[in-house]
Amino acid sequence: MSPPTHHETLLALQNVTIDLGKRTFGPFTLSVKAGERIAVLGPSGAGKSTLLKLLARELTPADGQATFCQRHLKEWSLADLSHRRAILPQSHEVAFGLPVELVIGLGRVARTFDPDITNIVRQAAELACAGHLLERRFDTLSGGEKARVQMARVFAQLWDVEKGLLLVDEPLAALDPGLQFSLMDAIYTFAAQRGHAILAILHDINQALQGFERLIFIKDGSMTGDYTSQQITIPLLEALYEVSLISAVSDSGEFIVAPSKAQKSF
Amino acid sequence: MSASTNVMPFASRLTAGLIHRPALFLWVTLIICIWVAAWAGAVNVMPADWLALLQAGDDQPLTGGAYVLWNLRLPRILFAALIGAALGLSGALTQGLFRNPLADPGLLGVTSGAACAAALTIVLLANSDIHIPISLRYWILPVTAFAGAIGVCFLLDTVARWLTADSIAGLLLTGIALNALATAVIGLCTYLATDEQLRSLTFWTLGSLAGASWPLMLALLALLLAAVWYVRRLVNEMNALALGEATAAHVGVNVRHLRARVITLVALLCGFAVAWCGMIGFIGLVAPHIVRLVIGPDQRRLAPLSMLVGAIILLVADTAARTVAIPAEIPVGIFTALLGAPFFLVLLAGIRKGT
Repeated sequence: MSPPTHHETLLALQNVTIDLGKRTFGPFTLSVKAGERIAVLGPSGAGKSTLLKLLARELTPADGQATFCQRHLKEWSLADLSHRRAILPQSHEVAFGLPVELVIGLGRVARTFDPDITNIVRQAAELACAGHLLERRFDTLSGGEKARVQMARVFAQLWDVEKGLLLVDEPLAALDPGLQFSLMDAIYTFAAQRGHAILAILHDINQALQGFERLIFIKDGSMTGDYTSQQITIPLLEALYEVSLISAVSDSGEFIVAPSKAQKSF
Repeated sequence: MSASTNVMPFASRLTAGLIHRPALFLWVTLIICIWVAAWAGAVNVMPADWLALLQAGDDQPLTGGAYVLWNLRLPRILFAALIGAALGLSGALTQGLFRNPLADPGLLGVTSGAACAAALTIVLLANSDIHIPISLRYWILPVTAFAGAIGVCFLLDTVARWLTADSIAGLLLTGIALNALATAVIGLCTYLATDEQLRSLTFWTLGSLAGASWPLMLALLALLLAAVWYVRRLVNEMNALALGEATAAHVGVNVRHLRARVITLVALLCGFAVAWCGMIGFIGLVAPHIVRLVIGPDQRRLAPLSMLVGAIILLVADTAARTVAIPAEIPVGIFTALLGAPFFLVLLAGIRKGT
């Protein structure tokens, strides 16, 4: 594999639709470049997770073209794909209570020769603030600890590659604000050091505005917008969520948005 | 860092699992069990009889205890241990595949499918006019039982894929339905059977190791060695399956292929066991459980240790089955549950107290 050039396109969707029988989604047209940080916003049930499943290759397109690193997504073997893209899921259940160290190591299960795994597992755990959990059993952990371990597993998976893709499905919603902050920070650091692109489904508008340079809007099963974070305005967000919003600027210059009780018609 | 939680390099897997300390303990227990099982029986085998084979030649055939040991008891003991190991391994694989500690090959209908095929053959063949040469009769039931196990597995995979695509829970439920169906057919055969056929049916439903012989033992040994070699490459993917089907696919495991491989392997192991020994329940369920309670759920160690535990349980049960009521022999399936269940409960109680 030749070394990827800067701003190489990792993922490209060209008029992709998804047919789930009862409902069709799309068309989605989207390209993700190495190192980009993209947030996916939209109301519940709009199709955000469906889009993520398409990118994760859990769903196959009914129509259109989906390519990853210039190859059709469907031509990739699952093992090869796992070397370049990782997914941080919403739920954290693991059967049988495996040891944490093993769970993190499983991120690298598709590598046939992996001499440095013990080291990588430890470093990935440290980065995800889970270094002290290595000797525990997964089923004895709290919700926040489980999230950290799953994040360490994803870090281990893409630890020694460059310009990969990290798909994140709202993993932090149930965690306390301090932990959310430090874990998001860990993800940014991890991805920035390696040129990985991040594509994250988020419910927290402020998190999206502060940490992501590009925002994609999904509503009623299709893409309704693709903006840089500077282009985002309150009316755009209000139209997306069909709710009135108020905004404020903090002392340190951060733009903060919150829902308001005022009624508006959309 | 303690040895038990250490992530072993993924390259050294099953072999490393066999020389850990619990494995050493189990190997020693197994050897003691073999020694005791060889001694016990209608004829007591003395230590000198073990050496008699060296002195025996064409002009000096084995006699007495030595004859019993080398021609009857030893093949049976080793056969029992190997069948136990096969059942333990298939239990560990099934539980890993379904991510469910209650799944075992019996629950999926694999064993009852094999017994069902045998029962149908016993009853239908007797009521038809087909003449079968004596030389073939010995093989016909094992072959049909084996075909029954493979058939159920194939049906299971096809039906589950059609009804509930790509869902392991759906596969489990389909298996439960097939098991009920096979059990019903066995019940029907029992109802239709004559007294003589009933005796033959009992062999299949309660299990017996009386058919053991050296060639059979060696065939099973070969199958088991091949299975162990094959499982070595699957254990890591089986561990990944514990993360959930979707996540296993994300880390690069082809769940569909893995599922087909594991099912085929379980069908081969169970099919062989049922074909020659009938339905021996409980071991596939309880052996992996015992191992999991003691050393944890890591498949890399669970699979080999379940084999050892399965071997010990079946050997002890079979020894009891053939010695409790000499010269009669009680079906071994009764003893696996009779001995295994209380032991398992004691172990559960101990774990409960410990935590």
